[in-house]
Amino acid sequence: MDAKYKVNRLQTTNEIRPLVDKHWADLRTAKERGELVAWASGPSFIFAYAMGMKCHFMAGYAAYCGGIGAGEEVLKVAEMAGDLPETCSYHRLHMGMGEAVARGIPINPQAILPMPDLMVAGRLCPEMSHYAEGLHRRFGVRVLPIDLPAVVDMEDMPRIREFVYRQFKEVVIPTFEEVCGKPFDYDRMSEILSVLKKVATLRNQCWEFFKDKPSRWTLWDYGVSIAPVFYLMGNPAGVAYYEKLLKELQERREKGIPAIAPDGEKYRLYWDGWLPWAFLGKFMRKFIPHGAVVLCGRYPWEFFPHPELIDPEHPVETWADLYYGMESHLVYTFSPKGTVDLIGKLIDDYSLDGLIMFSSKTCRVMNLAQPEVIDVLDKKYGIPGVIVEGDMIDSAMISDAQIETRLQALYEMIDSRRR
Amino acid sequence: MAVVAGVDVGSLCTKTVILDGNGKILSYDIMRSGHYYKGAAEESIENALKSAGLKKGDISYTLGTGYGRGAVAEADAEVTEITCHARGAARLFPEVHTVIDIGGQDSKVIGIGDNGRVTNFVMNDKCAAGTGRFLEVMALALSVDIGEMGDLFFASKEKVDVSSMCTVFAESEVISLFARGHKKADIAAGIAHAIARRIMGMVGQVGLREKVVMSGGVAKNAGVVRAIEERIETSLLVPHEPQIVGAFGAAIIASERMSATIG
Repeated sequence: MDAKYKVNRLQTTNEIRPLVDKHWADLRTAKERGELVAWASGPSFIFAYAMGMKCHFMAGYAAYCGGIGAGEEVLKVAEMAGDLPETCSYHRLHMGMGEAVARGIPINPQAILPMPDLMVAGRLCPEMSHYAEGLHRRFGVRVLPIDLPAVVDMEDMPRIREFVYRQFKEVVIPTFEEVCGKPFDYDRMSEILSVLKKVATLRNQCWEFFKDKPSRWTLWDYGVSIAPVFYLMGNPAGVAYYEKLLKELQERREKGIPAIAPDGEKYRLYWDGWLPWAFLGKFMRKFIPHGAVVLCGRYPWEFFPHPELIDPEHPVETWADLYYGMESHLVYTFSPKGTVDLIGKLIDDYSLDGLIMFSSKTCRVMNLAQPEVIDVLDKKYGIPGVIVEGDMIDSAMISDAQIETRLQALYEMIDSRRR
Repeated sequence: MAVVAGVDVGSLCTKTVILDGNGKILSYDIMRSGHYYKGAAEESIENALKSAGLKKGDISYTLGTGYGRGAVAEADAEVTEITCHARGAARLFPEVHTVIDIGGQDSKVIGIGDNGRVTNFVMNDKCAAGTGRFLEVMALALSVDIGEMGDLFFASKEKVDVSSMCTVFAESEVISLFARGHKKADIAAGIAHAIARRIMGMVGQVGLREKVVMSGGVAKNAGVVRAIEERIETSLLVPHEPQIVGAFGAAIIASERMSATIG
């Protein structure tokens, strides 16, 4: 193994933490200020933001707990309360936090959130239903379930889009109006979308630097920069953040600075599935010494990859289109066919050498058909892939030696094909 | 041509193979890894050197593999056991396209291309189900020597299902099968079939392509070999000493790297 590689850390990414911390601090203290709080899974938090509610998103909370090192202790509380370790760790994390508060079990105070006035359960998977059911049954939370079906075939897209759009118009918006006691604020939703459009456009410009050989940044850098296109949506600070990031990447290109020193990457990789929020550093230490850099992935690419389609003048329509429009077809990537289409495009766009299919042991939707996807793509593009089992936040699902062996075997397969 | 060594430090056993400059096996060693992998690697190399009538300085290049590959102090480089098993099996059986390796604590199925290189692979996860350790625990539960497990398979007269693949649950299941009056041979055969069922799923993921080689310590259990053959409906090629295939592959790679350095 050549141990000469070292990360060239971006300066701008240091500036995301204060933004993220402020978001969670505002959420923690919302009730003290008499503000309403929502929780959400699936693409529904924008409706809460439009109504001036503080809101958190399921995966965002997991990312945050991973970042502050609180995941393990919160998961332990869930297990003490009877949650099975095989169930979705995002679900367990929320149950653990709720149980810790209800039972007075001390956990990291930064991980404690107020129980919501409304939980919008956008059900992309059975686990999201489980999560919503748990909140309602165990903590008495009011739940608004909406269905967000995966699209297996593109010809189904228009009618599913219509179904989802009608749920937004006929169920979600009236419920928020009732909970907040005021008419839905379409203007605010338009403003949020305008900011999102700017941020996502800048972000796409940053994505171009993944195409450089050597790449100027890594997927992990983007992973920590994801909040402005996610739960910091509508916050103008996100525009400033991505402007600065873009400038730094441009400077790197001009000065010939790669993502990893001294000369850039030996292996350009794709990452499938969730990001391992609590283990980003652990994985980084398994990539960099080998000269491996992860450049793109299915989950991080879900966040509004087509900002040109965002039409703030028609906020609800555009929101449905962003997930279910024929052009953006985000939810289509949840199907094996859609996954193959997306990864195939990424292989071409980013000149990838190999695929890492991160298979979370507690998430079935993301893992669907990963072995077959590797097989199909290997036959078509001639690049190898491996399945790496683990979890986003639960260390009980992570086996260091197994992960090391699988990743190293991937590097060896790439080497062997180059010969 | 230089003498080289391949050292496979597995969870249960450490194996060393020494090759001469022509790629011929001069000696090999198999010993328990114990709890101190570094010491096991050193001792295994010493044992192999002694068998070959060589001394440490005679080895020009050493390559480590296996879970404890990082513990081989003598190693000039390390390569995963995936690549090493594939290379070893392909040298022994050039027509191989699939390797089933069941070692002490993991099992893997490796797809091999026409050029002898790895095309894809799957490994079991961190659970020990269906591995050498699983068989050891089952042998204890049956009160037989692990070496007898294979023979017992062929003495089986009645089909008994062992449905649990968790080592701990399977042990309880074996005890309850005893309590219900089932015979040792039938239970041993049930255990072999349970392992075969698990391997079948992994073979399905990689895609079965003949010829199929079985390596690893569990390949010494003729009952498990037969059970897998029945399940995948093809014969397995089992090397004379299946436990050293990974170390042999490591030595082959060491030899190539040495040649490249000299060449």
